[in-house]
Amino acid sequence: MEDARLLQGQGRFVADLTLSRMLHVAFLRSPHAHARLVSVDTRPARTLPGVAACVTGDEIATHARPIRAESKMAGYHATEFPPLARGKVRFVGEAVVAVLAESRYVAEDALEAVDVRYAALPVVATPETAMAGDAPLVHEAAGSNVLLSRAFVRGDADAAMAGAAVVVGDRFRFHRHAGVTMENRACLADWNTGAGELTLWSSTQVPGLLREALAELLDLPAHRLRVVAPDVGGGFGVKSALYPEEVAVCALARLTGRPVKWVGDRREDLLTSTQAWDETIDAELAVDADGTIHALRARVVADVGAYSIHPWTASIEVVQVISFLPGPYRVPHYRGEAWGVATNKAPMGPYRGVGRPVSTFVTEALVDRAARRLGMDPVALRLRNLIRPDELPYRSPSGVVWDSGSFVESLERARDVVAYEHVRAAQRDPRRAGRYVGVGVACYVELTGVGSAIPASPGAAINTGTEGATVRVDPSGTVTASFGLACQGQGHETTLAQVVAAELGARLEDVRVVSGDTAAGPAGTGTYASRSAVIGGGAAILAARALREKALAIGAHLLEVSADDLTLADSRATVRGAPDRALSLREIARAAYAGAKRLPAGMEPGLEATRFYDPYFGTASNATHIAVVEVDPETCGVVVRRFVVVEDCGRIINPLIVEGQAIGGVAQGVGAALLEEIVYDGDGQLLTGSLMDYLVPTAAELPPVEVVHLERPSPTTLGGFKGVGEGGTIGAPAAVANAIADALKPLGIELSELPVTPDRLFRLLSRPRQAL
Amino acid sequence: MPDAVTVRLTVNGVAREGRCEPRKLFVDFLREDLGLTGTHVGCEHGVCGACTILIDGEAARSCIMLAVQADGAEILTIEGLAQNGKLHPLQEAFREHHGLQCGFCTPGMLMTALDLLRTNPSPTEAEIREGISAVLCRCTGYHGIIRAVEAAARAMR
Amino acid sequence: MKPPKFDYHAPASLDEALALLRRYGGDAKVLAGGQSLMPLLNFRLSRPAALVDLNRIPSLAYIEERDGQVRFGAMTRQRTIEFSPLVARRVPLLREATKWVGHLPIRTRGTIGGSIAHADPSAEYPAVLTALDGEVVARGPKGERVVRARDFFVTYLTTSLEADEILVEVRLPATPAGAGWALEEFARRHGDFAIVAIAALVVRDGARCGAARLATAGAGPVPVRLRAAEEILERDGLTDAAIDAAARRAAELVSPDSDIHASADYRRHLTTVLTRRALTRARTVAHA
Repeated sequence: MEDARLLQGQGRFVADLTLSRMLHVAFLRSPHAHARLVSVDTRPARTLPGVAACVTGDEIATHARPIRAESKMAGYHATEFPPLARGKVRFVGEAVVAVLAESRYVAEDALEAVDVRYAALPVVATPETAMAGDAPLVHEAAGSNVLLSRAFVRGDADAAMAGAAVVVGDRFRFHRHAGVTMENRACLADWNTGAGELTLWSSTQVPGLLREALAELLDLPAHRLRVVAPDVGGGFGVKSALYPEEVAVCALARLTGRPVKWVGDRREDLLTSTQAWDETIDAELAVDADGTIHALRARVVADVGAYSIHPWTASIEVVQVISFLPGPYRVPHYRGEAWGVATNKAPMGPYRGVGRPVSTFVTEALVDRAARRLGMDPVALRLRNLIRPDELPYRSPSGVVWDSGSFVESLERARDVVAYEHVRAAQRDPRRAGRYVGVGVACYVELTGVGSAIPASPGAAINTGTEGATVRVDPSGTVTASFGLACQGQGHETTLAQVVAAELGARLEDVRVVSGDTAAGPAGTGTYASRSAVIGGGAAILAARALREKALAIGAHLLEVSADDLTLADSRATVRGAPDRALSLREIARAAYAGAKRLPAGMEPGLEATRFYDPYFGTASNATHIAVVEVDPETCGVVVRRFVVVEDCGRIINPLIVEGQAIGGVAQGVGAALLEEIVYDGDGQLLTGSLMDYLVPTAAELPPVEVVHLERPSPTTLGGFKGVGEGGTIGAPAAVANAIADALKPLGIELSELPVTPDRLFRLLSRPRQAL
Repeated sequence: MPDAVTVRLTVNGVAREGRCEPRKLFVDFLREDLGLTGTHVGCEHGVCGACTILIDGEAARSCIMLAVQADGAEILTIEGLAQNGKLHPLQEAFREHHGLQCGFCTPGMLMTALDLLRTNPSPTEAEIREGISAVLCRCTGYHGIIRAVEAAARAMR
Repeated sequence: MKPPKFDYHAPASLDEALALLRRYGGDAKVLAGGQSLMPLLNFRLSRPAALVDLNRIPSLAYIEERDGQVRFGAMTRQRTIEFSPLVARRVPLLREATKWVGHLPIRTRGTIGGSIAHADPSAEYPAVLTALDGEVVARGPKGERVVRARDFFVTYLTTSLEADEILVEVRLPATPAGAGWALEEFARRHGDFAIVAIAALVVRDGARCGAARLATAGAGPVPVRLRAAEEILERDGLTDAAIDAAARRAAELVSPDSDIHASADYRRHLTTVLTRRALTRARTVAHA
């Protein structure tokens, strides 16, 4: 539904919006990773033609409080993230001064006239140095660079390790990643002085969360604040936090009395948008001689960057790693420990898959290594350990409950689709031609549509387990369904319309979906964590169901039949067995708004319902990914030849959209495995500050992807939906890594570091090695 | 703007004119001075391809070109692709084959695909992959785009 | 990422352009296709007082064959070269290299003169110019001078062009009969600058190799002509053993740098691998 406008250049992104008297803001950003602000002199910039104002951290502080991400997690230290730096800067790219001008060009000119004196401080460049006793502190108020630590324990992993036939282990490293939405972050604030009302348009995934948070930080009642996420060019988790720029433009609009717009450029995006992963994982897996998993233990250290972000906190990524390391396997003994450590880098945040791309990489690598050690086929070893349908619901070692799943079935199906035995046979062939073929498997399960029982982020101060839907049949008979969700390309205008149309009995073309506007929908938070189909779809079902009942009651009254004798389909209520006795939804709606004269006695007029849905626990989505790769041992280049996804996202609303989500996720996962890496040097300077250096995959680097849907409806969610937004990115890095390791098996090489760049592969291949 | 220059050009078949600084990027001129916001800015260093337009019939990046350089040129932007309210076969194919999700790269992708099909009306899948590798898409994994370009090639032949 | 202010001039003639360069005394930049310069301006990494735009000088865009050379006006677009039948016939190595230059929308604007004058050591055109021992014509206040490839590239992004000179023509020797050519490149992504690329041309002379030409991209601060490796082939012919020896020798002739994409060791290793592959393929072409 959204396609028609986007295909014709009629989308409306934040950068496309213009208001009269609008000012453009550019931020002076710190060139230092860690430095004290000695002085800030904006006078030379303020007098330049076209410049309206220059605002410092101290000046904006009276108009906006710093962002503070609270959490009930024991031992967690919150940090204060000011809209503009005060006292000191903590990462390269942190905003120091805002310049407001008639154009972005003039604003950037004026930045060069601002005089900031810095006194460099020792840079906290890595978690290792950050955790040393004498390390300089990123946040003095926290008293430590370790902002959080957490552990999950089941049974006695140490004892189980000691008694196991085979223990495999390694230090794994998944480097820092950037989400790189094609639309850079942007926001526009408009303050109406007379009304005392503020409107913020932002390229955000979470308009609802923003509104609540900004009301607090700006000292403004929430009902005076409207947050709109118009068309948004990709999110992937990167746009799910509250950013200092969003606070700043609001404060600046109030301060100047003029609309203020910030359109981030690509350099700003790579410097300041939240980044992902950057973890070092020491992990071991113990198995019996027959391949049965006994125990898993892991110590995970994450580089969380300079600030803990709202609302997810610095725990979001690393705690998910230890939550999901056991994967879809029976793991009787488990210990996972995690530390989140502050450094002078851009803040860490949620990114598609959150933690699970890393946990799946580690666990699936260990499973393969165990199979190699035992001389077992890796698929056979997995089949022995996957949780079987009769064991569901299954409580994982970290306490997550898998309500359902098709773990065994998805692996068997993927094995068949890829023609596993055939690939194994072919594998022995092309090696003669100097190319190494490998096949890699990754199985995962993820919790989606997380309800109120489980905080989306450990100890989070806010609950994100519910979402609402308002469905209204207009007097003309068309249907408007509004949500607190927001859309960044997931096709909600299509899928949610399908849900509403089916449940209500309306024609699809009669349903219009409105979302991403806190003034237009019921209270909600937004779109993230594979939740919209499950929670938003559930709310849509409830609201549409209520309307359907009311519409049928009105129709029955008008036709003088029992409501049980009426069906409502294609926007038409028809008496069973008498197709000529019917009313259009339009006629029913007219009656509904006409009032008592045309309604059953005592019925409230109108045809509109708002319902909220809470899936409570959430539901398990799972998949198996299989990659077939070819490694050129001379150039150290890797080509992914085939990629198979067998996924189970429950009941499917729209197969094309599910396929698009799965393949898009795989593309990001393949990029993460082979190309994409954020690199900082020892001084905290970003070395990958352009798209020439941070390598997003093009069509030429990606394989064709075959997707098979299992469609086993969730037993616990309304509609049977399970989330599908993130899964592609969860399985792909592990599958590609395992395929490369499989290809290099004859050389006795194991992989423990992602991405597998050609240079890393060159070093691995150059190392003196022992053949297995 | 004391040092402003006048830029006269034809955009989507219509004669247009604007005045801007010589340093103004062509993409900003299209978006801000001519109000054609369908062409998007993604990187401003010529890598992502979101800003791709046709200049004198050939695809080019409008973010690494000055507005003043387009003086006298014939430009096609995304807004000019559909004719008389009828979608171009490429647009139809993108809709049919889920060739877009967030829609941000889509204008540049469509203009690039148009140039590709004009220079090579029957591309193989490998040639399509190579051709559209000029534009980064972060949502689709390119799968639907490739299917769409294949379908459009058939429709346009 | 908006460019800083500059004076802008779009002269209609070369003389006018040269006069402008003189007037700014080294503070002006010549704008050709802009595919490298404009990003630098947008990042504000380049801050010239003025741009002298050559795009309004039609006489700078041509391809012609003369005196055994194919001559390119500096403003000839890479896209024009890609689709030129003359280039395909007479300098097929350049045509093959062109497909590796960025992407088609980049080649629409990018020019041969701009690419060579920019002197990015990872770019393909400088490697081809070096391999073929081509020449460039520089025009300055004192008239024209012809500079051979080996005398043109000084270091990373630096050439022997004077500040008041403009590169006006690129001359490449036409490919002789019995020749085979290949450009082998390894890049992280399609369209990226090379990690390493090798441009190769061999001329078959009966069972012997009449001439071999090899040059690198990405293996040092300038394109490197691999003369000592060429000599092995010219001495020993195009046998597998000679190709292998030339490829190993090639790695000894380069001094690559390390950056975030590749270490010096890896680039040196690639120099051997790609030299071997380029020569093997060029030999096949020569025998076809």
